[in-house]
Amino acid sequence: MARLLIWLTLSFVTPLAWALQVVATTASMGMLARAVGGPAVSVMVLAPPDRDPHQLQARPSMMRALRDADLVVAVGAELEVGWLPAALAGAGNGRVLPGRLGYFEAAAQVPLLDPGVADRARGDVHPMGNPHVHLDPVRMADIARALAERLARLNPTHAADYRARAEALAAAVASRLPGWQALAAGSAGAVLYHKDGIYLLDRLGRPLLGTIEPVPGVPPTAQHLAGLIEQLRGRRGVVLYHPYQPAQGPQRVAEALGWKAIAVPMEPPVTASVEDYFRLIDQWVAALAQAK
Amino acid sequence: MYPKPALLAGALALAGLTTLAQANPEIDALRAEIAQMKQHYEARLKELETRLKAAEGQTAATPAATVTDRLGAVSAGSAFNPQISVILDGVYYRDNKKGEGPELYEHLDGINHSHGHGHGHGIERGFNLRPTELVFSTTVDPWFDANLMLTVDSHGGVELEQAYFDTRSLPAGLKLRGGKFFSGIGYLNEKHPHQWDFVDQNLPYRTLLGEHGLMDSGLQLTWRPRTGSLYTLLGVEALQGNEQVFATAGVATPTARADGLPLAGTAAGELAGKKAGPRLWTSFAKFAPDLGDNHALQLGAWGGWANQHQEVHDHTAGTACGLPGGSCVHALQGKSRLWGLDAVYKFDAPGAYGAGDFTLNAEYLREVKDLSLAFHEIGTLVGQPRKFTQDGFYVQGVYGFAPRWQVGLRYDVTGLTNKVEGGSGVLREWNDSDRWSLALTHHFSEYARLRLQASRANLTVDGDRERLNEIWLQYQHSLGSHGAHKF
Repeated sequence: MARLLIWLTLSFVTPLAWALQVVATTASMGMLARAVGGPAVSVMVLAPPDRDPHQLQARPSMMRALRDADLVVAVGAELEVGWLPAALAGAGNGRVLPGRLGYFEAAAQVPLLDPGVADRARGDVHPMGNPHVHLDPVRMADIARALAERLARLNPTHAADYRARAEALAAAVASRLPGWQALAAGSAGAVLYHKDGIYLLDRLGRPLLGTIEPVPGVPPTAQHLAGLIEQLRGRRGVVLYHPYQPAQGPQRVAEALGWKAIAVPMEPPVTASVEDYFRLIDQWVAALAQAK
Repeated sequence: MYPKPALLAGALALAGLTTLAQANPEIDALRAEIAQMKQHYEARLKELETRLKAAEGQTAATPAATVTDRLGAVSAGSAFNPQISVILDGVYYRDNKKGEGPELYEHLDGINHSHGHGHGHGIERGFNLRPTELVFSTTVDPWFDANLMLTVDSHGGVELEQAYFDTRSLPAGLKLRGGKFFSGIGYLNEKHPHQWDFVDQNLPYRTLLGEHGLMDSGLQLTWRPRTGSLYTLLGVEALQGNEQVFATAGVATPTARADGLPLAGTAAGELAGKKAGPRLWTSFAKFAPDLGDNHALQLGAWGGWANQHQEVHDHTAGTACGLPGGSCVHALQGKSRLWGLDAVYKFDAPGAYGAGDFTLNAEYLREVKDLSLAFHEIGTLVGQPRKFTQDGFYVQGVYGFAPRWQVGLRYDVTGLTNKVEGGSGVLREWNDSDRWSLALTHHFSEYARLRLQASRANLTVDGDRERLNEIWLQYQHSLGSHGAHKF
């Protein structure tokens, strides 16, 4: 009982002295929030990077984190539709509901690829566009600038710092981009497990050769894989998948085509810095470069 | 302004003349003059053409910019429509009692014996379409969200299951819900049938709360206090207490017997009038420590209090009250209370499509109806106390043994304590009813699933043991907006 009282007292007093509480849905969004917010924000990430962000459940610990958040940084475009609205509903925090200043969606800041029709015959589609924007460093720089503006509105005293950090991130991306482009220049493109690497492929001008999933969100069937192999026979490429996705499909396709199947993570570590994020892009680019 | 062809014709005619008079200096001069004229005309012609073009451009552009008549009104059209989802639910059912199984559940021995408003949804052997759920939800304005859920059964009967608003902007982690809604008590009570891991409702819920669980009209206030990394949810509800198995008011004093015989002359007493609502109060608390990304645990406790409950017992079957084998019509009223404990543990594996995920949950429920006889055919009994007590629990586990495949096992039992006490001790005691269920579920996608369930139940009906074996094959399709993966 005494401990509970101490908890209660502490939790009522401490927020006054604390930094802006940011809850990021994914590790890459957490990286952005830390990179732009600097010491003026404290960041918590909801979705562990080792699993599919589509599949999570709204857990009590998420509601706990959202209860006191000043800002939610989400990927958006319905990537988190299964759990973020439910977690927000359970959090009882009006400041971070969509439409409020405390709700920031990355996908709302940049043009999206693949806007489609709302037809679930095509799988678990996102009609407003593909949500996996975080693998395009240039879009991430634009998102960082938008996030700096949002943080500036929430906490004007640090506005100049936020903007300067976002510009620094954009400059770092600009200086790295030619290197990535050069590395990937000769790549014949990739077969992806899920259509999530397309923003990077698009940025580097490399083609998407196919997906292991027949339609988004549906596990591969033997028939689909056979068709994919038939269609790509004689061509060059590489199969990319994530450690959390079953490896059998990618390996079967790669073996049949004489390609490599490479597991690359989808997200940087939970506590990622900008450099960690760049390392993730390096990994993807190096894997893409194997398709020669 | 001359038309261009006419000028050209003139020029050509002059040119023709020149061929007739060659080697004449005067003709040479004339030729030069004509060439000059030709040049002049051509220049003039070009100028006129450009002026014409400019003039044409102007006359074409001006009317388009100023006169545009559009029909209709500027409106958002259907853009403000709420999010809609529809759940289709169908089963194929067989049992070893020639289809009597669902009927047996209605008549389980216990304190709410045949008082439940459970209507079994008329499941029969073979194909059944279960009630189709229609859910509408949207944000009303900056301060409120709203949600509406209707069910339509296969005969077209419509039932309003939920219609409530939620506040969006209360401070300090507070939230107010009002309308008709599933109570926040327990773990499974708030879950809709399409969120269950098994086809049918568990036995303690079914016998102590009713087929749908506790669902009523009123207000719910929830508060999430700051308790460090521990998630805490505290809630209190003021409910009307309408037609719940343990909270019903406004029951009429019996004036006739169901078997048609006249009421005994010794009948006396009457049921009190309906009290003003809210007649049913509940409160609940849930606690969930932060156990990292793979594990989640939630523990809860709740209570419910009804300040008025009335029920009529009429088991008459053609023999008058007071005669051997006869039974007497009587009515009871008083208060009732319930409480329960719930625990959920979830393991979230990084595997794709739910492979390796595991959920274990268990709940205990206990209900006490503290009543007294308000009317009896033997009038001298009026005023005697009757205390009804029943409890039950369930334990169920669900494991994702492969991507998109789940297997679930459930044990549920009701009536571990199952008795009526009078002023002088236990008047009557019943046996319990229990059941084992095994369910195999395949998720085609987020939106479609197929479930095969086998149950083996040991039910007590009118003092007899009934062994019931059941097989269900169920499909559920979810149309429209993406459902939430609630904890």
